[in-house]
Amino acid sequence: MPDLVTLTVDDVKVTVPAGTLVVDAAKAAGIEIPIFCSHPKLDPLGACRMCLVEFVGPRGSKLDTACTVRVSEGMTVRTSTEQVKAVREANLGFILINHPLDCPICDKGGECPLQDQTMAYGAGVSQFVEAKRQKQKHYPISDLILLDQERCILCWRCIRYLDEWEDKPQIGLFERGGETVIDTFPGQPVDAATSGNIIDICPVGALTNRVSRFRFRPWELKKTPSVCTLCPVGCNLRLDERVHELRRIVARENLAVNDEWLCDKGRFLHQYVDHPERLRTPLVRDAAGEALRPATWDEALHRVIEKLGDIADTNGANALGGIASARVSNEAAYLFQKFFRALVGANNIDFADGSAVKAQPTGLSAIADIAKSDLIVLVGFDPSEAAPVLDLHIKRAARRAGAKLLVINPRRIALAKYPGAYLPVLPGGEAWDLNGLATALQAARAANQAGSKPAPAPTGKAKLETKVAVMAELRPAYDLLAAAKAPLFIYGPDAARGQLGKLAVTALSNLAVALGFGDRLAYVGAEANSQGARDMGLLSDTLPGHQPVTDAAVRERLGKLWGVQPPAEPGQSYAAMAAGGVKALYVMGANPAATVAGAEALHKLDFLVVQDLFLTETAQLADVVLPATSFAEADGTYTNLERRVQRGPQGIKPAGESQADWAILAALAEKWLASQTVDTGEVSKAIEQPDWKKKRRKIKAGPAPKPWNYPTAQAVLDEIGKAVPPYASLRWDALGEAGVQWSTSALVRAPRRVEPVDVAPIAAAPAGSFTLVSGPLLWDNGPLMPYGAEQVRKLTPTPFVALNPADLTMAALAEGRQVTVTSAYGNVTLTLKADASVQPGTAWVPANLAGAPAETLGAVRGEPVSVAVKLV
Amino acid sequence: MLSEQAKSEIRALQARYPVPRSALGSALYVAQREIGWLPPPVLAEVAALFGLDATEVGEFASFYHMYNTHREPGQYHIEICDNVPCMLGGAARLGDLLQERLGIGFGETTPDGKFSLGHVECLGACATAPMFMCTEKATAKIRYFEELDTPEKLDEVLALIGAGQGFDTCERWPVGPGRHGGSPETNFLLARVDKPDSHRIETYIADGGYETAKAVTTGGKTPQQVSDEVKAANIRGRGGAGFPAGTKWGFLPAGKYPRYLVVNADESEPGTFKDRMIMEYDPHQLLEGMILACYAIGAERAFIYVRGEYYFAAERLAGAVVEAEAKGFLGENIFGSGKALKVVVHRGAGAYECGEETALLTSLEGYRGHPRLKPPFPAVEGLYAKPTIVNNVETIANVPHVLRRGADWYKQWGTPQSTGFRVFCLSGQVKQPGLYELPHGVTLRELIYTYGGGLTEEAGELKAVIPGGLSVQLLDPSQLDTPLDYENVAAQGSSLGSAAVIVIGANQSLVEIARRTLAFYREESCGKCTPCREGTPWLEAILERIEHGEGRVADIALLNYLADMIGGKSFCPFGYAAVWGLQSNLAKFRPEFDAAIAGATGLPVIPVRPTYRPDTGVPSGVTSPSLPLEEKFNAPTHRR
Repeated sequence: MPDLVTLTVDDVKVTVPAGTLVVDAAKAAGIEIPIFCSHPKLDPLGACRMCLVEFVGPRGSKLDTACTVRVSEGMTVRTSTEQVKAVREANLGFILINHPLDCPICDKGGECPLQDQTMAYGAGVSQFVEAKRQKQKHYPISDLILLDQERCILCWRCIRYLDEWEDKPQIGLFERGGETVIDTFPGQPVDAATSGNIIDICPVGALTNRVSRFRFRPWELKKTPSVCTLCPVGCNLRLDERVHELRRIVARENLAVNDEWLCDKGRFLHQYVDHPERLRTPLVRDAAGEALRPATWDEALHRVIEKLGDIADTNGANALGGIASARVSNEAAYLFQKFFRALVGANNIDFADGSAVKAQPTGLSAIADIAKSDLIVLVGFDPSEAAPVLDLHIKRAARRAGAKLLVINPRRIALAKYPGAYLPVLPGGEAWDLNGLATALQAARAANQAGSKPAPAPTGKAKLETKVAVMAELRPAYDLLAAAKAPLFIYGPDAARGQLGKLAVTALSNLAVALGFGDRLAYVGAEANSQGARDMGLLSDTLPGHQPVTDAAVRERLGKLWGVQPPAEPGQSYAAMAAGGVKALYVMGANPAATVAGAEALHKLDFLVVQDLFLTETAQLADVVLPATSFAEADGTYTNLERRVQRGPQGIKPAGESQADWAILAALAEKWLASQTVDTGEVSKAIEQPDWKKKRRKIKAGPAPKPWNYPTAQAVLDEIGKAVPPYASLRWDALGEAGVQWSTSALVRAPRRVEPVDVAPIAAAPAGSFTLVSGPLLWDNGPLMPYGAEQVRKLTPTPFVALNPADLTMAALAEGRQVTVTSAYGNVTLTLKADASVQPGTAWVPANLAGAPAETLGAVRGEPVSVAVKLV
Repeated sequence: MLSEQAKSEIRALQARYPVPRSALGSALYVAQREIGWLPPPVLAEVAALFGLDATEVGEFASFYHMYNTHREPGQYHIEICDNVPCMLGGAARLGDLLQERLGIGFGETTPDGKFSLGHVECLGACATAPMFMCTEKATAKIRYFEELDTPEKLDEVLALIGAGQGFDTCERWPVGPGRHGGSPETNFLLARVDKPDSHRIETYIADGGYETAKAVTTGGKTPQQVSDEVKAANIRGRGGAGFPAGTKWGFLPAGKYPRYLVVNADESEPGTFKDRMIMEYDPHQLLEGMILACYAIGAERAFIYVRGEYYFAAERLAGAVVEAEAKGFLGENIFGSGKALKVVVHRGAGAYECGEETALLTSLEGYRGHPRLKPPFPAVEGLYAKPTIVNNVETIANVPHVLRRGADWYKQWGTPQSTGFRVFCLSGQVKQPGLYELPHGVTLRELIYTYGGGLTEEAGELKAVIPGGLSVQLLDPSQLDTPLDYENVAAQGSSLGSAAVIVIGANQSLVEIARRTLAFYREESCGKCTPCREGTPWLEAILERIEHGEGRVADIALLNYLADMIGGKSFCPFGYAAVWGLQSNLAKFRPEFDAAIAGATGLPVIPVRPTYRPDTGVPSGVTSPSLPLEEKFNAPTHRR
């Protein structure tokens, strides 16, 4: 078959790849063929008959559907003959006779393909005098979506999407003939994590968005192309704003990232942007015990500068620290670390899962590589909950491209149902299994190279025997790995925290290297801009561009850019700072006080600044609270899990007086610099002196920081280009609407080699107790969830602990009961659930539930935690 | 809750198929037998047994009319056929009588839960109209009660059923193969049906049965030689399209295995009842044909997709398969040839569309019976996406005769292009309706008058004939001398189709014929594509108005326009089938329609357009959204 095919569509010659559908070939020739059921991302169906066109053949012309026929050499297609026009007109008539024509109250009105095509191809009059068929109107098929069966034209797009992409056939056709309706099974609402996409692809108003319903007319919206900041995939979306309110989010096509899909969290969780509880002015606390009161920006920033300056002067720069979230933009992350490194003079900067996790610096080689992989290894990473659109890509690879999945996880995650193998591990025990696999594969490889039979290299008799015993359960995983021609390794924070996590990552890296695919190993963080935060050096031991703080050359380079060099000693980690390692803490977007223990530690601080959207538990403890904007209200760039730097432009006016994170930091730095006097022993040179300034700090002589001059986020990005070598060419304009992946070639990487790992198996929890397993849940109680629409909030479960049904039976516990779960770190009361995906001997408490039960129990400490479960 | 026994029965059914999902339909029969009907919890339970989403099972069950997803029927569920052949045979009188005797209307159940009453589309008992089928809920057995042309016969039958003795056998009532005939020299397919135990393997063997299959498969002929013989004989498909079987077999891609043979026994074209006779009274003839066909095409598995209503035929076929397996004619090593052949009898569940070959395959795979895209054609990608040959029962039943006596012998009958003999299904207003096995090319006149004995007194003169099943164009009396072969009927602007000849007399309104025909296609449209799904109810509604004196002059043009925009525009040939009858009816008998419109008693009552309600949370009044989804699902939908 030739690779290219030339055909004629309405006298236009067009050359397209073989296998192209005629409807797409016509589009390439600039000719529109109307469609309803056809969709570029769904398999051809041919049901709606809207795209009937004439194919001219030796025996005259014949009608066929352009959406199902593939091009062939010399094909001649006519799309605007009298016959074609008549058929389209009649077909629209058939579609419209039972369509309610309630366009004036339909959300789709104004952006409705049925309206558009009726205008373009319809008869303009109706010959229908019979009664319209009546069906069920506007009823919920899930908490998020309403179905109007009368509006439905039965194109099957929603059905096909849920089947072909989600592998969750939760909407189906019921009855037949004219009585056919789409519906869910009685009592079984749609729960696919990306179900909202069916609203976007519905060609009529049959499926509507319950969060946005009746909140807009499409023509009144101001539409801004942006990206999602709720997980590291960085799906492209569009912000639809009207009169300073974010009315709706819809997906935006980016074939390299999200195709044209969004997950339900990304689509439906946006009301926090307009939430009445948003912080609208800065708040200050005048004295301990007093309440926070509103203040001006000037006053609040002055208070911050004054207090931080005092503490630094008294206790040294290392008494100051900053905890940020990896949800913020690159610009905010960059200025945050620059503030501490260049102005404060400390490396005390971190974020949750920051320096505690051993992350590969380069992320995923490309999302597109998922489809090209024959084996996808997921270690401590559950895309179905953590990154649903990545989950779509992986499911697609498993079902369409025959990729196998090797799932290494304490819980049998949803993806474990696909062909491949599931390897249950205890949290922290990943290293043992990975090392076993790596050793065996290395041995086999070495043996193959030597031309002899494969045999594991003996490393002492006892060790060997254990390994051999282990190999029995590792066998399926070993076989998959040994057979893989294009494996892809992805791990998440749950397998990579702490000392055990470091071992696991090293063992995983050894495994990838042993197979010759060291470059196909990726870390995917929990928060949306985890990659960007690392790129920006939002870490206690790493400078912008993934360079260690100990690297003098890099410090010198940054010194030239900043005016002063960053300190050479690594700073304090998140855990150290949150546990009281500093006297003053600046928290940007994080919430360490979510747990009781975390809050207690913060009480001991001399000074706490919190910059956030809402008065979080941490903000409630703060001395100064600075209101920040959400991603929708400020320009910023975000780097996704495949290192794609994407623009998130401002799409809506900021709430109240809130300011972009980066702008707050820039203003703060300006005041900080203004408050300083270089102690030269002489009278200081007059530096611009604002009114509020009463006191000037004296600092030691030496290189002075350069002034901060950032009129826009783009100006910050310009400087990032100078500080972070791979970002050198990534200017705002150059990023375009699809973003650009930064090149790994600019990053000096450590040589790929196998490092020795010394691991021991993890002991199971003692009898009568369980090993705590935690991990992400899509509908958790994360920082923004409590401020979502009611329909969204409802999706978060009551805090629960789930046990394997067998364990439940053995412990004589009943589902639904309240239980106290106790670990060495704390105890919580939770609802008990049975869940077969939870392995025997383990207890599953998802991360970020209300009251932070998993965190209270010590789930994120990177060490095995055993818990006791007792009835209340 | 399903019993353990039912669950193990379902698991055994799953094991019969290469892909367990194919057993979904049979599993639902088991569940329906056990629970009485199929409410959502039962569907969900079946779904769990198949590892499917409950939605998939709900979709499937609600597509097929034989699954009771909306309400539980009575202990004895009586469904009367009132499709055109039965309508001509007095179905309306039977319906009235039934309602009177049972004291209930259609869609209702007697207060004691004993009887319930419903309509069905053509059951393949057209020469023995009027008739009904009855389902015994407790056993899921189905039996046909035919020739119920007098109140006495109906009373006798109701008494028999009421006494619990109606299902001692599932053979039709009255017992026996019914009227059939034809020329003695071409009596092959129906030669045995009058013999006692005609369905038993011994009877078939005594007539030389299976000898051909044995000789051929044990070295008598190569598969290619069998194909060549069938091709030379030019056996044209008896399902309706007339495509030569041998040519079809030749489309199989070389070297691709496994391959499947699927026998299309979904005989549903109104007026057609020939395959039923073969399956009920001479099933081994079909099995021998299947052995030969499978040998020729290299298939080791074959399926017979029997329409769900043909319970007795499926029972007889299943019995025949057991007999043949016991003899070693089917199974691992057939006739000691080293070849294997496993035959599975698969029951459909009430959907005309499943007679279309791709819809049949989709249904056989355990999905709703929607047709699928061609290409790929089944011969390339059919059942389970493997090369598959789909042939009609009668087509396959011709194969042993061709192989036994040779293509040349076969071609001595019929016309050069329409070779061999044909089982004509004569029904409607003739004195002797029945099956007549005659060579292709016999004239319509000869069939109706010589074999059928002419029209009944009541019917009067001949007005119209449907020559090939309800879906083809009507012929008028001037076309009576048309030889019944593919070419000549086509030349008359119609089609030989399934050779189901329906005779319509002078006393019959053709407007009613048109309306009833469209009612059938509306009922049986699968709903996949727009023109059929929306167009057939529209056509029916217009015809209903005309019939009831609310026709408009503009309606004739509208009918023609709509018919034109359905035929050939739909996904599968159903669109043509739905409108050919109407188009020819309007062309040939327009005055009848004009008269009905001229005699209209009033202009149509144009309905008030539905009012559209803003989302106030107030129930629409159409259905109540405040109902839980489950009740909504159970609520009866409007079925005409």
